[in-house]
Amino acid sequence: MRISILTVAIVFCLIFSGQLWAQGLVDGFMRGQRKASLALTASTESFDTYYVGTTETRNPNLGTVTTQSLNAYGVYGLGYDLDLIVNASYVRAEASAGYWPKQEGLQDLSAALRWEAYDYKLGKARLSWLFAVGYSLPLQNYVTDALVTIGRGSRNFDGRTMLHFTSGAFFLTGQYGYIRRGPVTLDRIVSYYDPAQLNPNTGYKVNVPDVTEFVLRGGVSAKRFYVDGWFQQQTPYSSGTDIGPGIPFPTNAVGFTRAGANAYLRLIGKLGLTAGYSTTLSGQNIGKASRVSGGLVIGI
Amino acid sequence: MPLTPPATTDPDGGNWQTVVLRSGVGVPAPAAVSSDAYQRELTAVKNGLAGTTPEQNTAVTYWAYGGVQRWNQIARQLIAKYNVMPAYDAATGRYAAYDVAKPMSDAPFAARLLAYLSVAQYDALVMTWRAKFQYNRPALERQGVQPRIPVADVPSYPSEDAAVAEASYQMLTFLFPNEADWLKAKATEHKQSRVWAGACVPSDLQAGETLGATVATSVVSRARTDGFAQAHDPANTWPTLLARAPYDTKWQSLEIPARAPVLPLAGSVQTWFDATAVGRTAPGPPPATTSPAFQQALAEIRTISDTRSREQWRIADFWSDGVGSYAVAGHWNRIAEELIQQTAQNELRAARTYALLNRALHDATTVTWQTKYRYFVPRPSQIDARIKTVALIPNSPGYPSNHAVSAASAAVVLGHLFPGDASKLTGQANEAGLARVYAGTNYRFDVDEGAKTGAAVGKIAADWSKADGAK
Repeated sequence: MRISILTVAIVFCLIFSGQLWAQGLVDGFMRGQRKASLALTASTESFDTYYVGTTETRNPNLGTVTTQSLNAYGVYGLGYDLDLIVNASYVRAEASAGYWPKQEGLQDLSAALRWEAYDYKLGKARLSWLFAVGYSLPLQNYVTDALVTIGRGSRNFDGRTMLHFTSGAFFLTGQYGYIRRGPVTLDRIVSYYDPAQLNPNTGYKVNVPDVTEFVLRGGVSAKRFYVDGWFQQQTPYSSGTDIGPGIPFPTNAVGFTRAGANAYLRLIGKLGLTAGYSTTLSGQNIGKASRVSGGLVIGI
Repeated sequence: MPLTPPATTDPDGGNWQTVVLRSGVGVPAPAAVSSDAYQRELTAVKNGLAGTTPEQNTAVTYWAYGGVQRWNQIARQLIAKYNVMPAYDAATGRYAAYDVAKPMSDAPFAARLLAYLSVAQYDALVMTWRAKFQYNRPALERQGVQPRIPVADVPSYPSEDAAVAEASYQMLTFLFPNEADWLKAKATEHKQSRVWAGACVPSDLQAGETLGATVATSVVSRARTDGFAQAHDPANTWPTLLARAPYDTKWQSLEIPARAPVLPLAGSVQTWFDATAVGRTAPGPPPATTSPAFQQALAEIRTISDTRSREQWRIADFWSDGVGSYAVAGHWNRIAEELIQQTAQNELRAARTYALLNRALHDATTVTWQTKYRYFVPRPSQIDARIKTVALIPNSPGYPSNHAVSAASAAVVLGHLFPGDASKLTGQANEAGLARVYAGTNYRFDVDEGAKTGAAVGKIAADWSKADGAK
């Protein structure tokens, strides 16, 4: 396989954005008025292969990149048809080869409002139509423009709609969203090559490509346990750069398809355990990562 | 930014000292202003002003920013494009061979390229100014044409823009042969934009183009024989230099797999200023790895690596100028551009600024490379693998820091040309050097000794300019 070491100057920042959504920041289940739940989870994911554009590559000067995170996730029912969802993460990322510093710190704070707009009875089954709007922003000025980083650093606006079908314990949810990403300010002046640029080398700000997202999730949700399988596809909506020398990483067009599964088991009272696994099926300018997670869920 | 007319016209500029040209360039006498041929050209330009297309207007505004500066921007873009590492083929275990058509524009390449570009521009403009004031064909504005953009009130024949466009195009094409078509299109647009702007007539362009081509030929012939063709060490002699190096622990490539160092013979490239004087600026031997001074320097880098603040990271990143960027020399060219804009230097004076800066940067880099491959001092991470770096570790020995040498030389040259900004430039240069300590790629003695060398090279350049005829 042919690789450019300079592909070294590369790699993905965006393992996270999107992932949190798929892990359930917004699912189809309404919490219910004045009910709340809190989940504390830990996850680890790693990859030794990544996509330059859509071509798989490895870099011996990077080795395996491992990212661990602690997540705090809360949902509260503001009304019977309106939920507030909040998530924050503490993330650590490091590479096994080369001399890249480990990055560690608070990543992003995300919040979303979910509204169940319509609710249809179909015999014993039920179909609901939901909408959600969300916003996320970095919790601190972490490094966004490095080979190993904990996030992309953009402020994002997220709008999505969902169809949620339940029949007995079975459910199926499909959702489609658009994530509008704000610009990112780099530590250095942008100097990448673009023949169309009339006035190059003038600023610190770069645009982060927007994405659209499709998520399909189905499974069983019972009183004492829950299990699902999901598929997520994120597609760059606006044009961006490919991983390559001199390309500011936040400008890379990131896309992926991932699949995974989650399980939840209620232990005693309102306390339960959750676990999940996901893997990357294909990607664009992102690591081909697999992820496991586990944690505690408390219903209040 | 609003376009402003140049602050000076420098009518004596034709007498300034050229760099490569040893004799003048003959420029044929223009047709008289009263001739039918010239009047037809003038009328056509006047009539054309009313019918320019939006694309032509965009080109007019773009080039009105300053041809010298636009070509420097173009050069920086190309440096960034070609500033990549050699491709590695895992199947054969080999790195791609050096390809002249696709040169790796790392630090020495970039410094040399910018020097040649600006020397070609400067010599061409000195000759242009000489012919302008010899023939005194009045500016179009003095003949009832209202140009669309501010134009220097200098004689229009030959066109300074055509001279700069042609010299720049030929010089950059020599250095980046694969970009010939793109560069040709840029040069054509540059020249034509001046007619669309109402700044000159086609015969002004023609004379400028011929002059630019003649000067470029002279400068290219110097480039062919300056020794750079051997800088990548085709005969693979660097292991002999390594074995000969008088240092107790020797540099190794930290890449996986290891590769030959960057341009091991770039220290032998012909300098722009007196080679002996430049060579004398080289720093002496660094402290041995067993000495307390070295151990203290290593400990400092380890501490920074363990406790690096976000602000230290930001500074390291801002000045990193590594792979994918327009390199250290390009960074200082960008700083020069701001100063040139602030002081509204005309084309000739802007070219002089760049030619002086870039020759100093080239010679600073050359003496750096001489020293790097004399001592082969290892990078901090080689001695202590726990030292993590903000920037990719350059695949070359660390002593002295090229960032520090270049920054100090640039600060002295620019401080000499723009005395009002001297203290700010010194501050920037100090930060650029310190950035390498924050990055973890260099010891403090790499930076301190490098800054002394750079300042001395800068002084050689500044002294040259004191006698070049410009006031």
